[in-house]
Amino acid sequence: MDLSLLTIEIATVLLAIGVLVIGLLIPREQRFGLGYLVTIGLAIILFVSFGYYGINATAFEGMYYVDDFSIFFKQLILVAAVLVTLAATLYVKKMGTNYGEFFVMTVFAALGMMVLSSAGEFITLYLGLETMTISFYILTGFKKNDSKSAEAGIKYLILGAMSSGILLYGLSLVYGMTGTTVISEVAVKLAEMGSLSPAMVVGMVFLVAGFGFKISAVPFQMWSPDVYEGAPTPVTAFLAVGSKAAAFAALIRVFMIAFPDYSLQWKMLFAALAALTIIIGNLVAIPQTNIKRMLAYSSIAQAGYIMTGVIAANAAGVRGVAFYGMLYVFATIGAFTVVMNFSANTGSDEIRDYAGLARRSPLLAAVLTVCLLSMAGIPPLAGFAGKFYLFSSIVDQGYLWLVIIGLLMSMASVYYYLSVAKVMYMADPVDDSPIVVPAGAKAVLLITMIVTVFLGVYPQPLSVLANLAANSLFF
Amino acid sequence: MIDFALHNAWLIPLLPAIAFLLIFLVFRPLPKVSAFIGITAIFLSFVLAVHVGIGVIQAGDQFVEHPLKQVVTWFEMSGLKIEMGVQIDPTSAMMLFMVSLVALMVNIYSLGYMHGDQAFSRFYAFLALFAMSMLGLVIAPNLLQMFVFWELVGLCSYLLIGFWWHKYSAREAAKKAFITTRTGDFGLLLGILLLQINFGTLDLMTLGEMIPNFQEYTNLSVGGLTAIAAILFLGPIGKSGQFPLHVWLPDAMEGPTPVSALIHAATMVVAGVYLVGRSLILFQTVPGAMAFVAFMGGFTALFAATIAITQTEMKKILAYSTVSQLGYMMLALGAGSLTGGMFHLFTHAFFKSLMFLGAGSVLHAMNNDADIWKYGGLKKKMPITYWTFLIGCLAIAGIFPFAGFFSKDEILLVVKEASHGAQFAGLYTLLFWMATITAALTAFYMFRMFFICFHGEPRDKSFHPHEAPFSMAFPLVVLSIFSIFGGFIGAPWVEHGFGYYVRLGEYHHPSVDWAIIIVSTILALGSIFLAYWIYGKKAVSHEALAQKFAPLYKISFNKYYIDEIYLWLIHNVLDGLGRALWWFDITVVDGIINGIGNAAKILGSILRRVQTGKLQHYALVLFAGVVILVLIMSFADTSSASLSLLGGVR
Amino acid sequence: MIGLEHFLILSGTLFCIGLFGALAKRNAIAILMGLELMLNAVNINLVAFARYVTTGILTGHVFAIFVIAVAAAEVAVGLALIVAIYRDRISVNVDDFDWLKW
Repeated sequence: MDLSLLTIEIATVLLAIGVLVIGLLIPREQRFGLGYLVTIGLAIILFVSFGYYGINATAFEGMYYVDDFSIFFKQLILVAAVLVTLAATLYVKKMGTNYGEFFVMTVFAALGMMVLSSAGEFITLYLGLETMTISFYILTGFKKNDSKSAEAGIKYLILGAMSSGILLYGLSLVYGMTGTTVISEVAVKLAEMGSLSPAMVVGMVFLVAGFGFKISAVPFQMWSPDVYEGAPTPVTAFLAVGSKAAAFAALIRVFMIAFPDYSLQWKMLFAALAALTIIIGNLVAIPQTNIKRMLAYSSIAQAGYIMTGVIAANAAGVRGVAFYGMLYVFATIGAFTVVMNFSANTGSDEIRDYAGLARRSPLLAAVLTVCLLSMAGIPPLAGFAGKFYLFSSIVDQGYLWLVIIGLLMSMASVYYYLSVAKVMYMADPVDDSPIVVPAGAKAVLLITMIVTVFLGVYPQPLSVLANLAANSLFF
Repeated sequence: MIDFALHNAWLIPLLPAIAFLLIFLVFRPLPKVSAFIGITAIFLSFVLAVHVGIGVIQAGDQFVEHPLKQVVTWFEMSGLKIEMGVQIDPTSAMMLFMVSLVALMVNIYSLGYMHGDQAFSRFYAFLALFAMSMLGLVIAPNLLQMFVFWELVGLCSYLLIGFWWHKYSAREAAKKAFITTRTGDFGLLLGILLLQINFGTLDLMTLGEMIPNFQEYTNLSVGGLTAIAAILFLGPIGKSGQFPLHVWLPDAMEGPTPVSALIHAATMVVAGVYLVGRSLILFQTVPGAMAFVAFMGGFTALFAATIAITQTEMKKILAYSTVSQLGYMMLALGAGSLTGGMFHLFTHAFFKSLMFLGAGSVLHAMNNDADIWKYGGLKKKMPITYWTFLIGCLAIAGIFPFAGFFSKDEILLVVKEASHGAQFAGLYTLLFWMATITAALTAFYMFRMFFICFHGEPRDKSFHPHEAPFSMAFPLVVLSIFSIFGGFIGAPWVEHGFGYYVRLGEYHHPSVDWAIIIVSTILALGSIFLAYWIYGKKAVSHEALAQKFAPLYKISFNKYYIDEIYLWLIHNVLDGLGRALWWFDITVVDGIINGIGNAAKILGSILRRVQTGKLQHYALVLFAGVVILVLIMSFADTSSASLSLLGGVR
Repeated sequence: MIGLEHFLILSGTLFCIGLFGALAKRNAIAILMGLELMLNAVNINLVAFARYVTTGILTGHVFAIFVIAVAAAEVAVGLALIVAIYRDRISVNVDDFDWLKW
């Protein structure tokens, strides 16, 4: 057993515990440096993780994968965590007490996601999932004196626990039918049995539902608009990218490695869900007036696009998922950073209050526009390249109808994205006071914008990494 | 250093790009710093380009067949791989040298010329952006990268022509340039797409190997390939101002004069010639396309020269002369000689930018009054401008030993050789005589302008001309040195001259055709003397001549009414069509779109009501979803075709 | 003789009872209890499978223990959140938690 394979996870745990302890030791007014400490720590871990490409090993007798696929998703999670913690400092400060704990919980959530993306076995998977989810329950209800936050927390907790119950029931059925909890052995046992028993079918559907909840696929998406709106904005950003990406990683590994022989069955399910998700996410986003809620529906729609890569069930599809997931991190966190700094200054999340933002803070307006247009898939931004990879992976598999739905709905999405831009650039501000953006958030804004433009113009560097990830899954 | 430059040629366009960003984002309020950054960047690029050039020459003809290529994958997917990078061979090295030198000279010149302009920094930012685009175009190893930079170059041209946007004419000229060249670009893009579809690659080297044996790789007929070549050629027609899309180039003179020198004389307009040169193998494979290129070139050369004779503004005359000379280059390429076309491109860049900068210096001295009939006697007031301008005129007229002599004779030679060829011999013979006449006309109109401007007595006493400041005189001197000696590298007595490096196919040592040399020199000298006789000595009244040949004079003076014809067409045909389409767009298309949009909005506001806010409703929906999925899965026969109902391939 | 299927029927029934509680009860704490029943149904499943399918290998038992531990953590957080929202709305009726909608 080579524990050095787990360096990334161990370092993350140490960081979380260390910050927790330091936060208790130092006086309250000096705790504001903790956020930067966490950012730096995570950035170092991110840097170290580049050394783990190409190892492709398993730890704990196949229970834990350290392959390029999991490293890619860990980096995605770390990037998201670095950006969120850097952007959140002002927002968390205004939120009041428990400054240090907020960042500790964020790191624990990231740890859960990492375990989830590396899990090669159901118990590990469940533990990773719950580490992530329970941390998010706490983070969602973190604004103690804001009743919306508490409501979002309780909704997320009850629905999340239900979905975990369903997922667990599914896992227990799969375990019972095959006699193993190791993902790669499930496939072997299933091949020996030759056909799907009814209990296996039920188990598989329960797994779809359990993961569908985490990635907020219709009809398991109902929680996400409420939670996204009520949760503190940095949490929403992290929830939208990290939790979703990690769940996608686990979902891909479970379905592509445990059930490859029955891909026809689950592909059909995912195709139907993806179509519904894309349509409903985009349509309901149109009439929204709260920007967080609008972004929540848009992120539902984005999950639908990413699902098309799962449906492809081959290296090209997984490459598309990985690529899109990474650029979605930048676009989403960029947009939410604008939202959190806007609300930290004005206390509002209503789209109509964004009137004339271009004059109050050109940077915020520009970043929000670029990020939203990237989500809409407008060339030459990164979202265009990402959608290109995703859709082209399923076109030749007979899912042209799904691609057409995706393209039509992307066009529809331009409407609500651009109406935000219109408000920011065309309307006159009610209040002319400039918006103060702290240096850390400014850095995040610039990074997200530059990366979004750069990856649109020159997608190859990320594409190479995404290719590595996809190939390690299919050897 | 040479090795470094050869292997890091990507730095050459990158440096101006950085300069552009720095100026545009940071140093816009500081004009002096902006100029310093711009000039430094282009100077470093120039140094690198010189070293690349030395490296290429040292390598002998090794790079001719095997260019030094460095590429990175831009993006790839199944069946499509697009690269970007750098291709260094003698042709691109020559262009790098020429573009960076002229750009450097123009950058220095602008210090004086643009002094005190309100948007001084913006000017330098755009110059840097232009240098980046042009240098990126020159080193492109494939047609797509070339196209991207081609469009960027077009954008810069638009920005710089309209630089004084508060002037109505500048705005209009910028729009005209952009729209006219875009018309051609449409053809270029279409041609590139057709090549990609048929050959599966846009890489210049690979295409160069595939196209001669195109029947092996594709099921194109000769006619098909000819059509692709002709469509592709639309791009160069637009960008290099060939007939009938030449109309934008004279109007482009609304931009600041250094811009005219850099973009509309020396660099951007030759992009079309360069593109044809780079893809010459495509044209060579199908002789019909070659004849088309040659004819367009030869016709444009003569056509523009006949207009230039009667124009009364220095920059307009130079603009038509540019159109004419570009036609010359196209003619050489159409005659099958990469050497001839590129050599003339090279020498022309120096003497034409020299003359433009000289014209700028004159305009600067005459308070931007463009009418040459108000000038006169500038010889004494502006000696440096006078002498350098004379060198430019001698060079373009093709007088030995100035640069134009060698390149022009080379073109006449190759066209004459082509007229002895197997195909289209008659056409090439005609073109040879057209080219010879053009050479005589060129000498005439150049010296007409020269004598009117610089000799005689000052016609309008209200001007007080003065010599240009050092920053403007220095580039004139440098460029005139190149205009004198630039031709020697391709002289017949040089063993491994220009043609040894820049060539397609086997190397032929340039031969000496005394007949051409003597005829062209006599014609040029005769024309110069004629110009002197009419405009210098005033032995014959030019007004009387214009009266005598009034119809011809009027046609030429009004540029064959091409602009008027276009205007009429646009007003009567395009506008009508546009109005009809507009009606269709507003009522039918918008109706449908708005209908769908409203439907989506209504549907969205109905669907959002499902989200009641009650968490047990959410849970119910969740479980209903699970139950429905289970039902679907258990009723769908797990092995039958019903599973692929939604698509999917076994 | 009690066999695997009996355990599975028991667990299925328990899951449904828990689900009914979670869907029909209005009191947030009762809902949490329903959720606990669902998780315990899973535990019965796991232990039964471990006993009958993979006799002698304790994977299922271990899984069940982890589920119990995680469920405890979940309930702790859940109760804390209920306390927090009770302070604000003076109610633990989930029908009152509908400020976030549409």
